[in-house]
Formats: sequence, C-alpha cells, structure tokens
Amino acid sequence: MTTSIRRWAVATTAVVGLTVTGCGIDDPSEGGDDAGSSGEASDDPIKIGISLPLTGDFSEPGKGVQRGYEAWAAYVNENGGLLDRQVELTILDDQSNADRVASDYEKLINQDGVDLVFGPFSTRLVVPAAQVALDYGFLFVEPAGAAEDVFTQGFTNLFYAAPAVAQDHYNYLADHIEAMPEGERPETAAYAAMDDPFAQGTAYGLKDRLEEMGVETVVDEVYPPNTTDFSSIAAKIASSDADIVVGGTQYQDAVNLIISLQQLNYQPRMAAFSTAPTNPEFASAIGDKTEGIMAPTGFTPEATYETTAEFVEYFTEENGAEPNEDEANAWTTGQVVAAAVEGVGCADPSAECQQQLIDWLRENEVQTVVGPLTWDAEGRPQGAHLIQQYVDGEIRIVLPEEAAEAELIFPKPEW
Amino acid sequence: MALFLQSLILGILLGGLYALLAAGLTLYFGVMRVVMIAHSAFLILAAYLAWWFTSTTGIDPLVSLLGTVPLFFVVGVLMQRVLLSRLRPATLTMMSVLLTFAVALTIEGTIGFVFTGTQRRIQLPYSGSSIEFFGAQIAVVKLIAFVLAAISLTVLYLVLKKTRFGQALRATIQNKEAAELVGIDTRKVAGYGFGVGLATAAIGGTALALDATIYPSLHWHWIGPLMAIIVVGGLGSIPGAAAAAMILGVSQSLLQIPMGTTWAQTIFYVVLFATLVFRPHGFFGGRLAQRF
Repeated sequence: MTTSIRRWAVATTAVVGLTVTGCGIDDPSEGGDDAGSSGEASDDPIKIGISLPLTGDFSEPGKGVQRGYEAWAAYVNENGGLLDRQVELTILDDQSNADRVASDYEKLINQDGVDLVFGPFSTRLVVPAAQVALDYGFLFVEPAGAAEDVFTQGFTNLFYAAPAVAQDHYNYLADHIEAMPEGERPETAAYAAMDDPFAQGTAYGLKDRLEEMGVETVVDEVYPPNTTDFSSIAAKIASSDADIVVGGTQYQDAVNLIISLQQLNYQPRMAAFSTAPTNPEFASAIGDKTEGIMAPTGFTPEATYETTAEFVEYFTEENGAEPNEDEANAWTTGQVVAAAVEGVGCADPSAECQQQLIDWLRENEVQTVVGPLTWDAEGRPQGAHLIQQYVDGEIRIVLPEEAAEAELIFPKPEW
Repeated sequence: MALFLQSLILGILLGGLYALLAAGLTLYFGVMRVVMIAHSAFLILAAYLAWWFTSTTGIDPLVSLLGTVPLFFVVGVLMQRVLLSRLRPATLTMMSVLLTFAVALTIEGTIGFVFTGTQRRIQLPYSGSSIEFFGAQIAVVKLIAFVLAAISLTVLYLVLKKTRFGQALRATIQNKEAAELVGIDTRKVAGYGFGVGLATAAIGGTALALDATIYPSLHWHWIGPLMAIIVVGGLGSIPGAAAAAMILGVSQSLLQIPMGTTWAQTIFYVVLFATLVFRPHGFFGGRLAQRF
C-alpha cells in the first residue's frame, strides 16, 4: 500500500503537470500561405496576418469574425484589390489562449512577413496581440476589444472598429430606465459576468448607471471563462428574485446561464445579455424561449449607412445568411484599414508606412457599415450601441426611439 | 433558507453525476494500477456520440446508450489488451499516465477533426423544464442524469458484489498474486475490468451531454476534479468514489453561496491536498476498499 501511495503521489504530480501542459497542445490550424519575404513588388498580394479563437471558449464569435474577414477580403479582391493589389489573409487559431495569440502575431510579423495585421476577437486576446503589434510598430485595428482595459495601456497604434466601448454598450437602456416613472422602474438587479474585461465591462457599465438611479444590486457574481455549470449562479439569481438580470456574457456562457435560469423557473421583468442574443444560433440554443431578451449591438443589417446594404447583400450571397455583429465588426476592421491604406498609399511592414497609417486614422473619419467612425487618442470610438430585443420571435432594434423597429417589451414575457 | 435548499439539491444532483464520471477511473486503478488520463476524453467522446445521435435522428440521447455502452466496453477490453498489457509491471503506473495521455490527445484531435471545434449542446424538449420540490426547482435533465448515475452505480456495485466476475475483480484488486494462485486469470479480469470502466464512461458522457455544452478539449476541465474525487474517496473503491463525489459536489454547490463561483471550485484541490497530507489512502479507502 505504501508503495502504491508513493506511486500515486508521483503519478498525481505527473497528471497535474501533463494536464496543464495538455491544455495547449493542438496544432494551429493555419490558413493561407506562409511565405516569408517582406519585400515585394507592387503586384504582389498584400499579406494580412490575423490570429483568431477558432477553438476554445470564444470559438463561436471567433469563427464569426473569420467569416467577416474572409468575406471582406473576397469583396476587395473582386473589386480590384487595395492599391491595385490583391489581399491575402493568413489566419491562425490561437485556441482562445492569450499566450498563444501573442506568439501567433510574433510569427505572423517575423516569420510570415505580413504587410498588415488585423486584430483577434475578445479583449483578453486583443491586449496581448496589441502589445506585439506595438512592439513592431504595426497599425492595430481590432474588431472586438471593447473593454476599458484596452484603452488605458498606452497602445498608440490601436483603433477599435465598432461604434462604442463596452462600458457604454447599455447606455440607451440605462437612459430608458432612468426615464421610466418611479413606480414602474425596476428596483433590484442581479449581475452575472464572465471574468473577462469586455464581458464585465458591459455589465458593469449598466450596473454603474442603475446604481446611480437607485436600483439595488442584489447579486453580483463573476465566473471564470471556463465555467460549465451555471446552476449555482442561477440559483443565487433566482433566489434574489431580482427585477432585472444582466449578463456580462460571451456566447456559450450566456446560453448555459439562461437555460439554468429557465430550469429554476426564474422570471425576471427585464433580461439583458451581451453578445449572445445577436448570434443567429442563439434562439435555437435556448429552445426558442427568447421573447423579451435584450442585447446591445453595434450593427444591424437594416442600417442606412452608405456601405451597409452592399455589405449585407454581398455577405448574404457568400454565406447564405445575413451578417451578425461579429461579422460586421470584422468587415468594419477591413474597411478602416483599407481607408488608411488608400489614404496614405502604402501597405508594407516598414515603420514609416505603419506610422503613416496610424497617423492617418488619428486625423480622419472613416465611413463603415456600422456608421462613420472617429477615435480618441487611446483608440476609443466615439459612438453608441443600439439596443435590440426579441419581439415576436425576431430580434429588433428597440432603443433609441429614433432608430427603433419595434416597441420595447416591458415587463418581459415568461420564458 | 430557500437558496440553501436549492443549492443543496443542486449539489446532490451534481455529486451524483461526479460519482458516475469518476466510477470508471477508480476501477482502472483498483484493478490494474493504471492512471487513466483518457477517461474524461472518452466521456466527451460519448457525449459527442450522444449529441450526434440525437441531432441526426431526433431520438432522445439516452437511446444512444444501446450502442455506446457495448462499443465502449469492447474498446476498453481492446485498449487494455493491445496497449496497457504491454507495459512493464514495474513502471506500469507512471507509464500508463503517459500512454493514456497520448490516447486522450488522440481522441481530442479525432473529435475536433470529425465534429470540428464548434461548441455543441443537445437541445431537448425538456431542457428548460423543472419539477418543484418544497419551493426548490429540480431541473428535469439534471434529475435524469442523477437517476442514470444512481442506476449505473447500483448495477456496477451489484456486479462487483454478487457475480463471479465481480468476485474475481475484487480479488484482483485486493491481492493480484493471491488471486492468480487460486486460479483467477487476472489478465482476462483486467481486460474486462477496463471494459466495464469504459462502459461507465459511455453512460457518464451521455449523462453529461444532457445538460452541458461540449467541445473537444472539455476533458481537460474534468480530469482534475475526477482525479481528486477518486483520491479523496480511496483508490479502487466505488462506494468511496461515490461518497467523495457527493461530499465534493454538495460542498462546491453550498460554498458558492458565500464564496462565489471562482473560489468554490478550489474546494476539490483543497480537499485533495488535505487528503494526501493527512490520509493518503483516502477518506474511505481504508474501510470501504476492503469490501471489494
């Protein structure tokens, strides 16, 4: 028995070590070619390097961003390219791993010799990626790093290609609640947020506003990104019987949390979750019990901005479905970089060209599928998110009123 | 009080699932001194097969057990005979870690190749349904998983306790050399024991799939807690694993009330360290393991 125990102690140590090591063992799924020369003739393609979470915690939105980037590249190439050169994407899979995303961008810049880089998905991956880009002096336009943390770390090369930062995503909803008569206004709120700067940022942006107007916080739960069992969090929220439940969520955690809440028969008067409800798979994932669920969004296919209709038509033709927010933000990233490239007239990895691209974006407004974008010195876009809600089974814009496609439902019907 | 009752029920349901998932793991070590890192990978494979079965046929995932249980049993027997029986007895425990680690990676890669890395979830008509119990809600899918676990563990216990195969298996667990002296073919027993262990993985994976989002690398999330359960319960002891699973499941669920999700998950490792330091044969190993 003693020998057995000793073996077990050694074996257990080995298991822990191997398990930890094993978390990052898959081969990257590489796309595009990996030719390494940085010097090119004018008719060579413009090589753009990207790392995306195609597997792991952020795989759903990560693949959405991939579709957006690929559609943009195909569209650009069909329309004469950039600076009369074709664009060529090299996409690596970082497995939703922050260490991996940094090494991916190192590889893209150093080994693959890309001319430009586009950002990954999720604040947790954007920050290490942006640092690598900054170290090499590259312009870094990203589609999904919306948390305040992104803009306070001295990234002088970074631009967020969406209308608003995470903290402001729920501003229109907060304004709406503030405008409600005292007696009708929700009195208590429960918050559950992934331990992720973007996800927490969206929930806490609303939390700050609601607390200012006197809405009491009765649950404030933060969970690790790899959480799979949401039943205990749901039990806390259900037990509090909060009027509003706010999820600072990505995709799968929102689905799991909502199903857990439904299992406990908790019926909030208002329910808002970031990211997930705008995903086309969302309704079927939660058994079509969507009525009244809200989400902030930076994009709608119905928007009347000058390039939106063309984007929606092209993307739908290519992919068989209308684009969602992740796909639109990826396309927007492409539009922003393309505007800078056309504005400056260069697309190469030299420090001079990259700095010119950065300077151009600091000084100019870019027309995109999510509206005209300008940025402050830290890369924050100067806009606002729309609020969408499931109304009669369809996700519709309900706030602000001037852009609304349907009237906001309150209180939320039972799910 | 309502939250306590709700959390207690959730903890019991979770503990039942943990017990089922850990049962095979403790059996492998009990019979063969094999540390089976790939057990949780087989769980996820079974979950994927259940998802695939339901998404292609529309039939309840529990029906897939008719195919996956015998399939996994055969795979287990073959795995023991083809791979593990070739390892030298002197270094069996350590080498089994490396070998089954490779198997786990192979399974993960295969799942990723066949089903892609997209996260999957079985959506059933009763996925969001629950039953009220003294004001608390019991999710139907969790209850089904718990009942499945209870039935499986009871059957497993009775097989080990009442059948000749079970007697041979218990004899092999207690003293392999003595078992061989009385004519037990321990090699054959080891093969069947491994098959039974993997058959429980088929059931556990299907139970898991009822109420979880699955993706190929999910098994890394499970192997740590499952290892902790069988060490705390006492190596080779099914009742010990069940008791440890229940204690850890309930503790985790109840501790989430004051401590929050992040800290409550550390309970497994705190208890594991304490067990290794103060009672290295497990809390139940000393007494319960003797029952086999």
